[in-house]
Amino acid sequence: MKRRKAIQLGALSLGAFFSRELAVLAQQPSLLAGASSATTSDQELLLAELADLIIPNTETPGAKAAGVEKFIIRVLRDCHKPEEQKQFYHSLAQVKADGVQTFGLPFLQLNTKQRTELLTRCTVRDKPFFLKLKQLTVTGYFTSEIGASKALAYLPIPGKFIGSVPMEPGQKTWAL
Amino acid sequence: MANLNINAVKDMTFDAIVIGSGISGGWAAKELTEKGLRVLLLERGRSLEHITGYENAMKAPWEMQYAGRLTTSQIETHPKLSRDYPYNEMTEKYWMTDTDSLYKEEKRFDWFRPNIVGGKSIMWGRQSYRLSDFDFEANLKEGIAVDWPIRYADIAPWYSYVEKFAGISGEKLGLPQLPDGEFLPPMDMFHVEKEVKQRLEKHFPGRHLTIGRVANLSEAAKEQLGVGRSRCQYRNKCNLGCPFGAYFSSQSSTLPAASKTGRLTLRPDSVATHILYDDATQRATGVRVRDAVTLQDREYNAKVVFVCASTISSTTLLMNSVSARFPNGLGNDSGQLGRNLMDHHFRIGANGTWEGDLDKYYYGRRANGIYIPRYRNLGSERRDYARGFGYQGSASRQGWQRNVAELAFGADFKETLTHPGDWTMGLTGFGEMLPYFENKMTLDRTSPDKWGMPVVLFDAELKENEKKMRLDMANDAKEMLEASGLKNVKIYDNGSYPGMAIHEMGTARMGRDPKTSVLNAHNQIHSVRNVFMTDGAAMTSGSCVNPSLTYMALTARAADFAVEELKKGSL
Repeated sequence: MKRRKAIQLGALSLGAFFSRELAVLAQQPSLLAGASSATTSDQELLLAELADLIIPNTETPGAKAAGVEKFIIRVLRDCHKPEEQKQFYHSLAQVKADGVQTFGLPFLQLNTKQRTELLTRCTVRDKPFFLKLKQLTVTGYFTSEIGASKALAYLPIPGKFIGSVPMEPGQKTWAL
Repeated sequence: MANLNINAVKDMTFDAIVIGSGISGGWAAKELTEKGLRVLLLERGRSLEHITGYENAMKAPWEMQYAGRLTTSQIETHPKLSRDYPYNEMTEKYWMTDTDSLYKEEKRFDWFRPNIVGGKSIMWGRQSYRLSDFDFEANLKEGIAVDWPIRYADIAPWYSYVEKFAGISGEKLGLPQLPDGEFLPPMDMFHVEKEVKQRLEKHFPGRHLTIGRVANLSEAAKEQLGVGRSRCQYRNKCNLGCPFGAYFSSQSSTLPAASKTGRLTLRPDSVATHILYDDATQRATGVRVRDAVTLQDREYNAKVVFVCASTISSTTLLMNSVSARFPNGLGNDSGQLGRNLMDHHFRIGANGTWEGDLDKYYYGRRANGIYIPRYRNLGSERRDYARGFGYQGSASRQGWQRNVAELAFGADFKETLTHPGDWTMGLTGFGEMLPYFENKMTLDRTSPDKWGMPVVLFDAELKENEKKMRLDMANDAKEMLEASGLKNVKIYDNGSYPGMAIHEMGTARMGRDPKTSVLNAHNQIHSVRNVFMTDGAAMTSGSCVNPSLTYMALTARAADFAVEELKKGSL
């Protein structure tokens, strides 16, 4: 039923992703030219904190608890071309630098309010990076065990299909 | 020594050989073994056991590495497969790699080839519709290609026969252009779909919106229980293989039935390279097979051969089976072998948002959509193109994947995504492609593949008729959705190339005249009566409906005929 999803989403997500890759493939000799960026533990920690700003702990654990930074790093490493990875981590470093410049402190020593201000600035200063980070965070979170089974309604084997049921108060989105 | 020779020949001799274990081949194996024949079922792909082979079927989303994405390495090594949706993280192992599936394109053709027992019957979309006399008569009435040598009345009992065993869920409509079948209870529709149906049918008399006719068991009847299947659990992961056997595939349905007879020999990793022909008897004597792994050749003998290797591979086999009698490929007196290649064209339609009904949700994941049967060019209406199209579609409520407030993040943003969004609905048109002599496949012998088979060169494209039809497909979808109350309705056209719909058909068409067709009314090669082809290659025209049910019916009908002919001594 991927076809049905493709029908619903039209040109969004998957279709656009593949055709973009194909177009780039036509122009470049190899996607694999150049090494994948190896991430430092600093970068990993920073990603975890940024992801946690995007999807924080609420009634349910947030992105950091769900280990979303691992998903982000894995997808960047294996599903993105080296220049894209380089660009992303460069942008990540900019966020860190912005923090030092604005508050005189490394990112991990900033409070939530300060971090939020930095990320908000980033949505304007480096919108493509923000959107990429957000997309990876959201996908990584809602497909994680915590995200899918705690934040959403997780039902691996429904057993039946009912086309119309009344929304329960506080009804959560189906995870799958 | 004499004994050894006799035994060796005996081991290599069967009543029938079936080439291909997919939708068609599985049926041929079932029917022929059930009617008493010892059958050798050859499959080029690897073994895939029912249930235990479906590695990813029960995985949780967090057990995926990349949430379904392909890696750069996969995209680089699968440049053709990664063009479209069927090849992804979870289905990777079911498809031939591009380095194995070598082919060439004069014009773009997306060829999706499985590498497993069961073929595409594991990954198929399961939509199952009957052709009608609108389809069977179209070529004759319009003076296009050649006439089908059969009519609906010839195949109707066989549609019933295969539907009862396969288990098709659907709703009867009494429409001549979409004949009703033997249905299990229809699946439910979303509230929005029911609303749209009501308004659409009121606004456009003569148009209908129904639940999809799908090869999933809404209920398991005794025919299905008899082969160990159980009903659909509404997980919507069909294309990974179903541990419940809830949808029709060779593994869940036809192969167990064939195995029960004790007369089935299944050989995976077996690439058929030649059909062996004896001009003295004007019959095939058997099949030469190359082992996919060891590359050793063996020859098997049989009284009857069923070629069900999927359209392109079936025709490749015939083209490769040259002899003094058939220098242009087995049975190719007409020159039509490889010609009239068709597919459906799609990836065009519209979608929009539905205001309200936020107090309604759903339970379970329906492995099916809605269907709008063809309504164009029936009766007296004449559009500026011939034939027609149907729509597949669905409503849904936006989930966590939706794009809300682009720059938002934080607790409120998270909260929003953990609750369902708006209802939306979309329609995608599937259009018929005419049979054009110029649309063809040929074999390139200059650079064979790793099994020594010549590679296919594709030269096919959508032409004027299809392009004009696509304008209606887009505009009608928008018009219908708007008239039904959807808002922000937008047309999309993601471009459609032959092969993308994975309904490739034609290249060995049925027809009345051996001078202009390859197969007769019983799917026999006109000039080689003990060779039958019953997969998509046989199609004389493409219709706009999903073709697999027709392959099943043609196969069952041809198998019945073949056995009767054998009994009479005619083969």
